[in-house]
Amino acid sequence: MKCIITIELGTNGVRVFAFDLNGRVIGSMKGYFPTFHTEPDHSEQDPEQIFITTLYVLKNLLNEYIHPRKHQVVSICFSASMHSVLPVDKSGNPLGNAITWADNRAKKEAQELRSAALGKKLYAATGTPIHPMSPLLKITWMKHRDTERFRLASKFLSIKSYIIHQLTGELLMDYSIASATGLMNIHTLHWEADALKYAGITTSRLPELAPVFTAAGKLKKAYLQSLRLPPETKVLIGSSDGCLATLGDGVKGEGKATITIEDSGAVRVMGPTVLKDEQMRFFNYLLTDNCYVSGGPTNNGGNIFEWFSRQFGDFTNPFDLESSMQQLMEEASKVPLGSEGLLFLPYLLGERAPIWNAHARGAYFGLNIKHERKHFIRATIEGILYEIYSIGKTLGEQRAIKSLSVNGSFGTIPFCTQIIADMFNKPVKLRPQLHSVSFGAYLLSATEMGIYKSLDEAAQTVELPGVYKPRKQHHAVYADYYNIFEKLSVKLYDEFEAIGSLQSKYSQTS
Amino acid sequence: MNQFVLQHGKSAELLLFPHILEVGIKKNGAIQLNAFPATVTQSLRIYYIIDGRFEWRIDRLPYIIYPGDVVLILPGSSFGSDNGVLEIGSFTWIHLNIQKLDNGHLQPGSWSGLSESESAAIGKILSLNGSPVISKCSEVGKILRCIHTELFGNEVGYQASINHQLDELLIQIGRKMTRQSHSARDFPKSFMHLEAVLRQDLAHQWTVEEMAALVGMGTTLFTERVKSYSGFSPINYLINIRISEAIKLLKRPEISVTDIALDTGFYSSQHFSTTFKKLTGYRPSEFRKNHLRNS
Repeated sequence: MKCIITIELGTNGVRVFAFDLNGRVIGSMKGYFPTFHTEPDHSEQDPEQIFITTLYVLKNLLNEYIHPRKHQVVSICFSASMHSVLPVDKSGNPLGNAITWADNRAKKEAQELRSAALGKKLYAATGTPIHPMSPLLKITWMKHRDTERFRLASKFLSIKSYIIHQLTGELLMDYSIASATGLMNIHTLHWEADALKYAGITTSRLPELAPVFTAAGKLKKAYLQSLRLPPETKVLIGSSDGCLATLGDGVKGEGKATITIEDSGAVRVMGPTVLKDEQMRFFNYLLTDNCYVSGGPTNNGGNIFEWFSRQFGDFTNPFDLESSMQQLMEEASKVPLGSEGLLFLPYLLGERAPIWNAHARGAYFGLNIKHERKHFIRATIEGILYEIYSIGKTLGEQRAIKSLSVNGSFGTIPFCTQIIADMFNKPVKLRPQLHSVSFGAYLLSATEMGIYKSLDEAAQTVELPGVYKPRKQHHAVYADYYNIFEKLSVKLYDEFEAIGSLQSKYSQTS
Repeated sequence: MNQFVLQHGKSAELLLFPHILEVGIKKNGAIQLNAFPATVTQSLRIYYIIDGRFEWRIDRLPYIIYPGDVVLILPGSSFGSDNGVLEIGSFTWIHLNIQKLDNGHLQPGSWSGLSESESAAIGKILSLNGSPVISKCSEVGKILRCIHTELFGNEVGYQASINHQLDELLIQIGRKMTRQSHSARDFPKSFMHLEAVLRQDLAHQWTVEEMAALVGMGTTLFTERVKSYSGFSPINYLINIRISEAIKLLKRPEISVTDIALDTGFYSSQHFSTTFKKLTGYRPSEFRKNHLRNS
């Protein structure tokens, strides 16, 4: 039997899936690699460890599910987190670790560009919000603050470009990853001269741009041997996690949107045109030359509930975060919806869409003498989901959303999915197994092979079997509370900044 | 028990225990000057506070110590109080002659019943520990009291009993220390800590016992948690780190393959070569040649 392998280079590790040609999962495996925070705003990963972990997991998966059953691997398709930067020297050696999407070192550069006229122009041209996550600003930071590394950098790669370079020798960046660098013009499909000029680089210091269907060379002989793969195995460059999750949920077409909530989250739509926004709140990334994935990201998703669980969960079984979180969910489900008037602003990590305020902080609001511990649990979950709703609502001003799908480990917890359906007052669909990104990569490979005529056709075949229906009375309650949530999210602007600066002032001295 | 001090070479009670350099109880009724000056010794010193409140300095950092607290002073660290002041209160202590290995790790002597890997693990915990004060550790008080009773009681089997108690003392302190610095609520954080320690000393022949002990877990639970968190067994995870460090070193032509093997924790260049080839398809020397040719 023929099969398709997908490799997802994620935030916390790598996930490898094997699909048959009909999109059924044959097997999957994951491997973790760490993120280093050597300084407060820094967030880095070791490219060699990512490479070795990827190779190791891929090999284990092949040996466990593919070779014993004599399946034949037709193609390997990549997906990756966006916004990473890895400078390499002229021999292709990494100059230090890769800088990940979560890195905030370029916050000053971001603030400057955001308030300049050039910022608006670059946002419109590149589709990437002006934010420290953007490789444009990370490279600019390096130009100012890490001059030696900047000087030695022969090329600025993404993590995916590096991994593919190791495997095949090709040096490419796919449209999706490139369109999230702030350096690519999403309308002309070339590197954007003004952005490059701002970052102080030329096109020779970036990899070549390639459509997501590009075959990125052949696997090197040694890897063919150690992985026991045939030489004709295709390596597809693939796309980004955000674009593929949207494709994997079949969001192509009018009125559809998808919600992803993992550690962080996003609400996305897909279509032939970009979302224009004076306030620069939305991203517009490329899946193909005529298909944009647009939406808004949040910093505060499942990681906030994890934080809450660590502080207030029950740990009778040491180190067992999962059962502690489950128990909290159960307690929360017994609290009346709306948490009897306790609201939570989830901005523990600052916030991107829709308020784009790095200084934002968390808050519980409306506390009265009758509130108990359990109200805090439910309020925390509801606060995370109000924030998702607020992104959806701002998106809805530009694109009518009729139906929703949800993916990601936090969003697909039944209790959360139902609240999402109630808040949006729309039916929410989902896939029972959690692999929208990898399924998107499968659809991409299958389209490339000609199984589907186009990505449109591929997306139309997606069926999401689970459905959560909205409940009218619940929606009314959430809508009432949301009004206050929305006002609070902007009302505290000055105080957010003030408390944030006190926090850094006093935590440095202690 | 009344106050007393027994010292190696002076007290007959310690003849059978050359590894106990000093043991005693102090009950101090009035503030004394110049009674507790800072000293540096080559022994492992353990103090347990019975009552009172003491302000002591360990390696120049000030600590306030309360009843139930244990203070652990590593060989070569300075310990005492400012101006030698001894405050009111009582405490008990023991000084052990514990070998400090070349790599800085501590290892109990032949009197100990701990296996080699267990004592390496405990030694590692004690020498890597960030804080010399362990709070609320009454187990240590009980063990020390038991040692005193045995020393003066001379009942049959007291020699073995005391040596057992000393092992127990190290075990309890090691366990308490890791639990104090690792919240059972946060495996990712403990795992990151472990990851950093492994990277600092990749050449060491890490065992699962040592790794588990460093984050305060039993090996079974540890292996299970690492597997579900990382997708790898602890040893395979370690191999990931070793090979990724080796790749970086192989890209620098000035270091020999044998040195890289030993630096990254493989016990021979043969072992390195086999593991490297199994994972990457290249022998290390081929990988290097290929890389240098392409660049």
